[in-house]
Amino acid sequence: MPTKLKYIDGLKHDLRLDATIEANVVRELNAHLEDKSHELIESGLSEKEANATALKLLGSPRIVSKQMYEVYSQGSWRQAIFAALPHLLVAALFAMHCWKNTFWLIGLLVAIAGSVIYGWSRGKPTWLFPWLGYCLIPVMAVGILLIYLPGSWTWFAATAYIPLALLVIFAITKQTIKKDWLFASLMLLPIPIVLGWMLALELEDKAIWNAQLYEFAPLIALSFAVLALTVAAFIRIRQRWAKVGALLTLEILIIVIVGLGGNSTIGFGGWLILVLLALLLLLGPALLERRMRQSERKRAKSPNKSTHRLSSSISARRN
Amino acid sequence: MNYERELLKGNTDSLLLCLINHQPMYGYKIIKEIEKRSNGYFQFKEGTLYPALHRLEKAGLVQGKWQRLPSGQERRYYYITQRGQETLAERLTIWQDFATAVALIVKPPTPLKSNAD
Repeated sequence: MPTKLKYIDGLKHDLRLDATIEANVVRELNAHLEDKSHELIESGLSEKEANATALKLLGSPRIVSKQMYEVYSQGSWRQAIFAALPHLLVAALFAMHCWKNTFWLIGLLVAIAGSVIYGWSRGKPTWLFPWLGYCLIPVMAVGILLIYLPGSWTWFAATAYIPLALLVIFAITKQTIKKDWLFASLMLLPIPIVLGWMLALELEDKAIWNAQLYEFAPLIALSFAVLALTVAAFIRIRQRWAKVGALLTLEILIIVIVGLGGNSTIGFGGWLILVLLALLLLLGPALLERRMRQSERKRAKSPNKSTHRLSSSISARRN
Repeated sequence: MNYERELLKGNTDSLLLCLINHQPMYGYKIIKEIEKRSNGYFQFKEGTLYPALHRLEKAGLVQGKWQRLPSGQERRYYYITQRGQETLAERLTIWQDFATAVALIVKPPTPLKSNAD
């Protein structure tokens, strides 16, 4: 691979920007390299030397892409509020004891569906992913509720529904990772929290869990309010490492809140499993992205289908 | 050396706005122009210029537009916006006041003639 292509490839690897911005950045840097090489050739260097020197003077692709990422990674306050809104709505639902209010629930479902459709059709902006996460929660929650139903429902849940639900969640996560693994983490953020509260409630007995829900409501509301804060912080922070740090710290804090509320039913072992699950859902997408990129590179290197595969993977990332 | 770098870092945006205000330019031309106008004193690290230009664009101070050169090549020219001009004017006033104040301190004081002399 020629050095210039390698440089641009390295640059794209870390840019993780919207397709239009990324195309502009790459085109602009290509133009710069063209001008610089031309200048160096005129000063007496060979074409090869000129290209190598131009690349060297432009600096490490990793640093350039990091700085460029930091320019565009910070969302506006409006975006931050809109991204945090689904969590705020859920927090309000519990703070005002409205979980049985049909009007509230339908309103929430319509807001989630509307926002996901709107965001999906608008090139999947960052604010979409917290909303998208709420589309996955019913898939998971139904599986848990099926376990508590009598007789053959438990078997149905264990053998058919849960594997299928996990497959759906995995496929959507994989699709999101193609854009940026951090968006997948952002999307999966509420799963351990919802799971934690479901485990804290004794779902076998309706009368008990109804009473427990009233008892836990302030803490449930608090945990979703902190989740909203986490998302808003994520959107406003520029540096990538700080975004990861904010997600990790605040998610663990929320699980501590869940642990405090449902300690009697979850226990320390259950709480520890929740922490591990949260870590897996937050950092797992990074590992998955790495594997996906490695296999993409391997496929691109294979001589027969390289061009076709590369163009299809690029177009998949754009979508 | 670090002090010089910090000074440049703190004033990069103003320098870029100043140049683009004078004439719309593209990245490579900006680097050359800065070098030429400062007699080689300011030498931008090429890779850091583009994030700085995009930062200004995101802040709405400049606007980038692709334009075709007579040679047929396309380059992204940066134009200053109304907001950019206002920001530049503000910064230049602050800078001039600052430079005057620094000059007053750096300049050796003129000895006062006392009555005893």
